[in-house]
Amino acid sequence: MQALAAAPAVPALAQQVRPAPPSGGRSSRGALGVEQGVKEFELTQPDAVADPAARFFTPAQFGALKKLSDALMPPMSGNPGAIECEAPEFLDFLIGVSPVEQQQLYRGGLDALNAKAKAKFSKSFAELDPKQVDAVLRPLLAATPWAWDLPKDPVRRFIASVRTDVVTATRNSPVWAEKTGTRGRAGQLKWLPIDPVYKG
Amino acid sequence: MTETHDVLIVGSGHSGGMAAKVLTSKGISCLMLNAGPEADYVKDRVAVAAHDLPYRGFGKPGRLAHVTQANEYNAEQWVDEKEVPYTSPTDAPYNWVRVRLLGGRSLFWARQSFRLSDFEFNAAEIDGAGESWPIRLADVAPYYSQVEQIFRVAGRREGWPQFPDGNFVTETNLNLNSGVMRKIVELAKPRGIPLSTMRSSQGINGLASSINLLLPDAMATGKLKIVSNAIVREITTDKNTGLANGAHFIDRHSRREMHVKARVVVLAAGTLESTRLLLNSGIANSSGVMGHYLHDQIYGVRVLASVPEARGGKAPAGLMGGSAFIPRFRNLSKNDKRNFIKGYCMMIGGAASPVAGDFADYGEELQKKLEHYAGSCVSASIYGERVPRFENHVSINKTVNDEWGIPVLHIDVRDSQNEVNQARDAADTAEELFRAAGWDVIVKTDKYHPPGYSIHEVGTCRMGDNPKTSVLNKWNQSHDVKNLFVVDGSCFVTCGWQNPTMTISALSMRASERLADLMKAGAV
Repeated sequence: MQALAAAPAVPALAQQVRPAPPSGGRSSRGALGVEQGVKEFELTQPDAVADPAARFFTPAQFGALKKLSDALMPPMSGNPGAIECEAPEFLDFLIGVSPVEQQQLYRGGLDALNAKAKAKFSKSFAELDPKQVDAVLRPLLAATPWAWDLPKDPVRRFIASVRTDVVTATRNSPVWAEKTGTRGRAGQLKWLPIDPVYKG
Repeated sequence: MTETHDVLIVGSGHSGGMAAKVLTSKGISCLMLNAGPEADYVKDRVAVAAHDLPYRGFGKPGRLAHVTQANEYNAEQWVDEKEVPYTSPTDAPYNWVRVRLLGGRSLFWARQSFRLSDFEFNAAEIDGAGESWPIRLADVAPYYSQVEQIFRVAGRREGWPQFPDGNFVTETNLNLNSGVMRKIVELAKPRGIPLSTMRSSQGINGLASSINLLLPDAMATGKLKIVSNAIVREITTDKNTGLANGAHFIDRHSRREMHVKARVVVLAAGTLESTRLLLNSGIANSSGVMGHYLHDQIYGVRVLASVPEARGGKAPAGLMGGSAFIPRFRNLSKNDKRNFIKGYCMMIGGAASPVAGDFADYGEELQKKLEHYAGSCVSASIYGERVPRFENHVSINKTVNDEWGIPVLHIDVRDSQNEVNQARDAADTAEELFRAAGWDVIVKTDKYHPPGYSIHEVGTCRMGDNPKTSVLNKWNQSHDVKNLFVVDGSCFVTCGWQNPTMTISALSMRASERLADLMKAGAV
């Protein structure tokens, strides 16, 4: 167990090697109707046919989040950025179902960005140009060698948190997979619920 | 009328599995109760890409708040904190990381395999403080040797007293041939820093678990029965003799309460679950020590130094790479005066990269910086020994029950200045070493994870010769209840800097052989 490049926290329990199961969840568990010769349907992911409805943040907060996401994860090296990957919309969902402390961190942080933009440039954060965004954002950045040890100041803490979250939400999006040609790859093994408690 | 089993074993990880293997091999019938289900590695896992996960890899927010090792892929393997919660003071967070699947945490451990040395067994004399174990390395060495054979431990013999050699099935070569590691070798020697390699259980097909190395042998004897989804609520005792006579357990699915009878009870549910069970049962604690001296290892310290000529992907062939494992090198002699007792081990990596959090940048500028430094770094991190302290303890929180109506644990653990000083020394040592090599230190932090993170929690039922200051005798047998044995990490007096699995397994083997002898002699 050595330090992982992608995750500085050293997990004390590492996954051991076991035989890999067949890829693809449904077919490996047997689809209803197989014995009757019914073919497995190719299903469509909701992101491919529908737009996420942002509903947790206020319009002002969401506008700041979109501007911030674009700054943190712009299109680079031919890859799509946070906006194209709908990372702000996903974070609106994720934070909306998160513990209240995380919700307060995000809401407070986005409100603070708008307040700083207003004080400095008499505009909302969403209306700032890239140089103005940098002027607001740069003083709030901090190096955080451990992901669990974020700054105590709530705004700097928010920035440290959202900086990672936007990148993850972008790179793990269906759009990113589509544009980078990784769609359809099997991915890692995920545990399904193991003998979940019987509900009757 | 149901049968009375020879031995009831609670828990199925390395310690419970070892007890079952040893006892059944001597013809003793065992019943094993395990709180969780058996996982099927084929049916219970599917390959899925992160973008197809409901939470895009983030996992369900708040579900496993204290398991920093958890992610959306492995979330199901851990104990659900809402089903089996625990409490701790708001200013003293504790990460209790649990697995209740058959085989317990032995399914997922990192397989680092070390012996404790007499610097730990004889800690009071070495440290000038605290308690020593009632046993020494010589008492455990024969059992370590057998355990290392079973787990197929690979390592390199060094002959260093603080890093006792094992009965290695494979000799591991040093991994110091790169340019950066040769530089480390040159600088470490005059500083008294020893360099070796990791010692690791190879197991079979990469798995070194109770379910493939211990339980199959026990089952093959025909002497072991295993009941899964059996959540033990209480160890029951005979009113006249005070001896353990069985256990109440709850079926996880139906919630039906059952009772099982046994002549001997062996607890192997993991340090804190065994202690919780004993505290809830109200037995074996005439010393008042039960629940105290909880400790684990500090995991942390990050020092990252970039080698100038390796940046921008331009490292010459053979410059980067390799690794070193540095066993404890502090406080090994009376002349080594530090502002802390005990010690730490250090891991050096010869081809590391920074992560985004290492820089106060964002966007394209951050990305370019990460690419510039990728693979150009040498890294250092540590596992350090926390000091076992009476005030770090667990108790039963009678106001909170788990999903099955069982009162939960309250965990109250705080670090001392000793841990802070130890981590600071490690960070300073690594920084000085890297700067002496001519490398640029780009990250240095002496911070370490909160208590519990190492998943090496031990103590709370420590062993000792004095029944007034210990819960168990040197054979893992309760001082108070003679037919009760506790064979998991709760028996530890001090944890050392070493992964405890080899020691837990060796002590379980030793205790089980003793128990078999006592049963044969009619003494239990």
